Amino acid sequence: MSIQPHQPERVERRMSPRDVRSVQLPRATMLRPGYNDVEVDRFLDRVADELARLHADKAELRDQVRALQEEVAGAPVPEAPSDQAVRILATAQQTADSYVAEAEDFSRQMTADARAQYEEQVRRARENAGAIIQAAQEAAARMTAGERPATVDAPPRSTQELEEQVAYLKAFGQACRTQLRAYLEALLVDVETEWGRAHPGALPPSAPRGIPAGSSRAPAPNVALEAPRDDNGGGDEGAGSGQQSGVGRSVR
Amino acid sequence: MDIPAMRASFAKAAAAGDEAPLYFYSHLFLSHPETRRLFPVSMAHQRDRLFQALGDVVAYVDDLDRLVPILQALGRDHRKFGTVAEHYPAVGASLIATLRHFDDEWDAALEQSWTTAYGLVAQVMVEAAEEASGQPPWWDAEVVGHERRTIDTAVLWLRPEPEFPYEAGQSVSLETDVRPKLWRYYSPANAPRPDGLVEIHVRAYDGGPVGAALVRRVGKGDVLHLGPPVGHIAFDAESDRDLLLVAGGTGLAPLKAVVDHVARIGPPRRVDLFVGSRTEERIYDRADLERLAEEHAWLTVTFAVSADDLSPLEQGDVGEVVVRHGPWSSRDVYVAGPAAMVQDTTTRLVQAGVRPERIRSEVFAPSRLGPSLDGEVTE
Repeated sequence: MSIQPHQPERVERRMSPRDVRSVQLPRATMLRPGYNDVEVDRFLDRVADELARLHADKAELRDQVRALQEEVAGAPVPEAPSDQAVRILATAQQTADSYVAEAEDFSRQMTADARAQYEEQVRRARENAGAIIQAAQEAAARMTAGERPATVDAPPRSTQELEEQVAYLKAFGQACRTQLRAYLEALLVDVETEWGRAHPGALPPSAPRGIPAGSSRAPAPNVALEAPRDDNGGGDEGAGSGQQSGVGRSVR
Repeated sequence: MDIPAMRASFAKAAAAGDEAPLYFYSHLFLSHPETRRLFPVSMAHQRDRLFQALGDVVAYVDDLDRLVPILQALGRDHRKFGTVAEHYPAVGASLIATLRHFDDEWDAALEQSWTTAYGLVAQVMVEAAEEASGQPPWWDAEVVGHERRTIDTAVLWLRPEPEFPYEAGQSVSLETDVRPKLWRYYSPANAPRPDGLVEIHVRAYDGGPVGAALVRRVGKGDVLHLGPPVGHIAFDAESDRDLLLVAGGTGLAPLKAVVDHVARIGPPRRVDLFVGSRTEERIYDRADLERLAEEHAWLTVTFAVSADDLSPLEQGDVGEVVVRHGPWSSRDVYVAGPAAMVQDTTTRLVQAGVRPERIRSEVFAPSRLGPSLDGEVTE
């Protein structure tokens, strides 16, 4: 009943203890009409008390509901998943995990194999290159070393001799270059006279064949290897070997 | 809180092996489906990490001085996963359901202990996360340059947005949309620059999902996510001793950042950088390092190959080559690379008279999930 004072305002449209207390029952007649006032008042008091008790209970229950609602909101566990559901999800997750793991493993093997192959190829290529370089170096060594027996009786060549040879080779190279230039110029002149004013770049590959071979036969091919091939057409390769023998001889 | 009883109940769950975290995550996803998107497709590694992290918490629960900083780092780091305060009670409920499931002698007292303990853990993490709310949970970083340098190594330049504060030698966790929710640690290969660009060296380990994607699938214009930087190699920027840096593989990255730091900030000192590799063609950043050596008189870069007889470079394991060029006893030494290389190099240097406390090292291995304790995932 201590709660009573702050209840009334909140339940305006419903009968409050105060409503009952303040009710005024009309009287039927002027002499001794209706109920006994004292009894009626006592009854009304009891009704009021009962209502007050009900309101108090209700308020208490409402507070409890509110507290519980707050608790539920604070820890939102609507309902714990059943063990069966957990097991099903766990199995599904494990299956997914194993697929991912398999895919990763597959990719690991593939890339590892690819890498191994790649590295093997690179290694072989480098080995080949190394072998070729080494063979070339050995050949060079053999060429210089192998020539010695031919002059084994002669005293070791002096620096002066070597210098002379170098000078000779340089001069030879220069001569070759000069002759090639002369040959090319002659060729161009011939082309212009024989084939009209055709642009040299438009020459058919067979053009050089039309040149009389005698004019510059030996030296021209010598330098052919230094000059871009396409300038000279196909005819010079055969003579190229002549260059090597020539150089070989001059070294000796 | 009855700590011995909690440890006993945790041991029971841990003894169930993979079953326990499997139960935990299934329970969590069923009761809170919205948490599933915070995790990668495959949960296999995640499960190991959960119990490792929980094991740390249980182990240090009576050593708060040690535990609290770990939890704070965890809380801050979890922001990048998209974790918010509301997720913590959900995780707590599933954790307790899991412990209950694997414990025959579970009782109300134990449940109370765990609820209290978890409440404290969550509170520390949530508070740390809130304190860190001044900086973004992660940074978007556009790939502005991507160069494949060898068959399995790429160098990326990233432009983080907004400004990304870090220091030379730190590590950064990184995620790509191509491999969602898989965060991996990489080290910037430069000190912070005025233009904000961050250089990252990525090696694609065979079968590694993130590295391979970063090397082969990610390209210019893609956007990556960066987590907050974490200190790791602990570069001592205050020391003015000369430096010896020894790198293997992409361990070069943090050491190149140290070189960059000396170049940009100083103090001036001699720096000798040794870069070890199996073969010459695998040295993926040679041109840039040679450029740096040319620009800076104080920098010497030496390359070493261990399985390439034809190479004109220094021959031998990089540790061996370093010691051959010694003595280094007056230097601060930083070693970064694969575990075997780091081990071998530090051993040789110590034998050659370098004081062990002057040597700092970092191991670069496949799947750098995180630097040991910090950066670990607890959910």
